[in-house]
Amino acid sequence: MDRSLDSPKTCPIGVDSCPIAAELKRLQEECRILTQQSQTDPLTGLFNFRYLMMALEREMERTRRTGLPTGLLMIDLDHFKKVNDVYGHQAGNEALKWASSIWRENLRRIDIACRYGGEEFSLILPSVRLSQAITAAERLRAVLENSPLVFDGRTIALTASFGVDVHRSRDKLSADDLIKRVDEFLREAKAGGRNRVCYEKVKAARAPSEITGDERAALFIGRWPKNSQG
Amino acid sequence: MKNVGSPVKICISSGKGGVGKTNITVNLAYALAGKGKRVLVIDGDLGLANVDVVLGLSVHTTLRDIMEGNGNLMDAVIYVEPNLGILPASSGVPDMVSLGAEDQAQMAEILDSIAISGHFDYLLMDTAAGIGSSVLWFNKFADHNVVVITPDPTSMTDAYALIKVLSRDYDRTEFFLLMNLVSNSQEGQQVFDTMARVAKQFLSISLQSLGMMPQDKSVVKAVREQTPFIKTEPYGRAAQAIEAMASRVLALPTAASQHRSASS
Repeated sequence: MDRSLDSPKTCPIGVDSCPIAAELKRLQEECRILTQQSQTDPLTGLFNFRYLMMALEREMERTRRTGLPTGLLMIDLDHFKKVNDVYGHQAGNEALKWASSIWRENLRRIDIACRYGGEEFSLILPSVRLSQAITAAERLRAVLENSPLVFDGRTIALTASFGVDVHRSRDKLSADDLIKRVDEFLREAKAGGRNRVCYEKVKAARAPSEITGDERAALFIGRWPKNSQG
Repeated sequence: MKNVGSPVKICISSGKGGVGKTNITVNLAYALAGKGKRVLVIDGDLGLANVDVVLGLSVHTTLRDIMEGNGNLMDAVIYVEPNLGILPASSGVPDMVSLGAEDQAQMAEILDSIAISGHFDYLLMDTAAGIGSSVLWFNKFADHNVVVITPDPTSMTDAYALIKVLSRDYDRTEFFLLMNLVSNSQEGQQVFDTMARVAKQFLSISLQSLGMMPQDKSVVKAVREQTPFIKTEPYGRAAQAIEAMASRVLALPTAASQHRSASS
């Protein structure tokens, strides 16, 4: 929180070198840095888990208020253990930083990119429909696949698996529920061979409330349909 | 918890437009008022309002004005009889057809404030045609759902579609069908039986009949004259049919009695 607006910038009684004002300024700055640190993952510069949960709850509440869905992507770097084992932990760290920076370049300013933990990431996409969230995930998947990490003169191919879902205003979900749901799609992507995006397949091409042929036929026995035999 | 004195909220929809929904709502309101009830007709067709047109009213403040904070709710109500008020909506406002989450919350506040005002015994909500969000919302908000249909296959299909959506996605299980523009009672009964059978078979819900309205020239004439037919031809077939429906409406459980039975 930025408090500088409602705190005096200089000494209110006009003393230039006031030690109390200086101390106040120092504390404000320290507070700002600590706030930032408490929300940031130091390695990747993305938001951390703590901030993720706070932001997700906020965006889900916004969905309930505005009706605009909130998209959530759960991402896991593929074969990350192998990167560590083959190229060393420093390469592993570079891979996490590399993927983070590439994805951040390919997100909107309002998207919230977080490191969930380990080699797992969460991206909150405010105000997107499922189809848009899927498109975004597909774009992030492709861009990483096409941007190998160059480390120590060696080229390391990186890919990631994605789970995608959206929280809609009529869903009664907690932030934990949503993460769990998206995590299942992520696991599906892993199990399905990695380097892919998984999401809820539309169960049927028709909306469940759409009138079926049987219902129509029942409403108009002997009258419908006129364009077929029998 | 519902206020003991809270009015019975009845939503009147049709799926298809042009089946006489607004005209029936207005005449039903007059009939209920004639039976000594205090009635408010809410024009729920927020984008293409008609209630005021059916009655030839001059509107100064609409539901939309109130939602935007321009005007007082009770000042917007036009009393056409001492115990019959009309709350008009706006016409030519596409934004109002789909109610967003925020609008819905506000609409609920407005209607709740009417309900707790204690001014009315019955709220009749005349919705837009179609199955847009505002139509679904008013139906969900109501205590009782009336669906107006005609023997026209498109009307039956659209009414069925509306009932299906409301029963599947909005937990509505009780519907009253009102068969309008039937050429005789046999035809009306046939339409009802078909709808009831299909709803039972596919949706597992029992439809009830609120009654039927015959085709009647006096109705057409009254609409052109912007006067309710129950006033112009109080002893005509249409007026008799409406009176019978009003009696059935009076027999419906009130919110208070529902609450009592729910807690007993």
